Amino acid sequence: MVIVNGQAESGIVGQTITEFLTKREAPLENIVVERNGDIVHRADFDVTLVAENDKIELISFVGGG
Amino acid sequence: MKEIQGLSYEAVYNGMKERNVKDSTAKLAGAHVTIAGVGGLGSNIAIALTRIGVGHLTLIDFDTVELSNLNRQQFKLSQLDMPKVTALKQNLQEFNPFVAIDTVQTKVTHDNVQDLFAGADIICEAFDNPAAKAMLLEAATEFYPDKPLVMGTGMAGIHSSNTITTKHPRPNLYIAGDGTSKGAEGLMAPRVMICAGHEANMIARLILGETDI
Repeated sequence: MVIVNGQAESGIVGQTITEFLTKREAPLENIVVERNGDIVHRADFDVTLVAENDKIELISFVGGG
Repeated sequence: MKEIQGLSYEAVYNGMKERNVKDSTAKLAGAHVTIAGVGGLGSNIAIALTRIGVGHLTLIDFDTVELSNLNRQQFKLSQLDMPKVTALKQNLQEFNPFVAIDTVQTKVTHDNVQDLFAGADIICEAFDNPAAKAMLLEAATEFYPDKPLVMGTGMAGIHSSNTITTKHPRPNLYIAGDGTSKGAEGLMAPRVMICAGHEANMIARLILGETDI
């Protein structure tokens, strides 16, 4: 089980961060990914795999300011 | 005796101090806040922080003043085509002479974050571009994990004022806004100023030692 933004999700273990985000239809460049308390560097999105018991927080931004 | 527009230095300083929260003025004067983006959010945040006498502001923006900015950004018709950082500094200096203001006309990228924010006690994000917001959060966390970062997201449209809040999702990170309304809906001074007020008040609270939202 993986916790994403406080909700339990299944079927995402083993995906890269890029795969996981793309399937959520979220624009990658507007999102910061926190995994187990640490920010995942954008350059590592393709090589970081979602693991069992991960706690993921997606901090997403919208335009305007 | 040093004078400011014909008034004594002390009279102007005491005027600012008189209605500031008790014992806040010296702490505010000792703080350095760097504001990334001085459009709708940043220009309003800068005015609020200037009025209460935050001692040192650094303003960063690559852009110049356009007509379409004036429905929400604190510039004047007479300042069209000026660099925003230059125009804003002019305006701020008329509000409060006790603030040291640096200006940097550049685009913030991952490569210059370390240099641009080295002197800041608090980093204020006030971009309009969502990818730039995400980039700054990532870079600031990498280079300056111990500096508070105050951000804004979601202040568009004509939705209720009361949907704009300040959140504290991780240590040293504060995010104001409704989180969802997008700039394409239109951006207007009243609601943008609410979000700017959230950011400015959080910054003032942090300077005065309040870390809760």
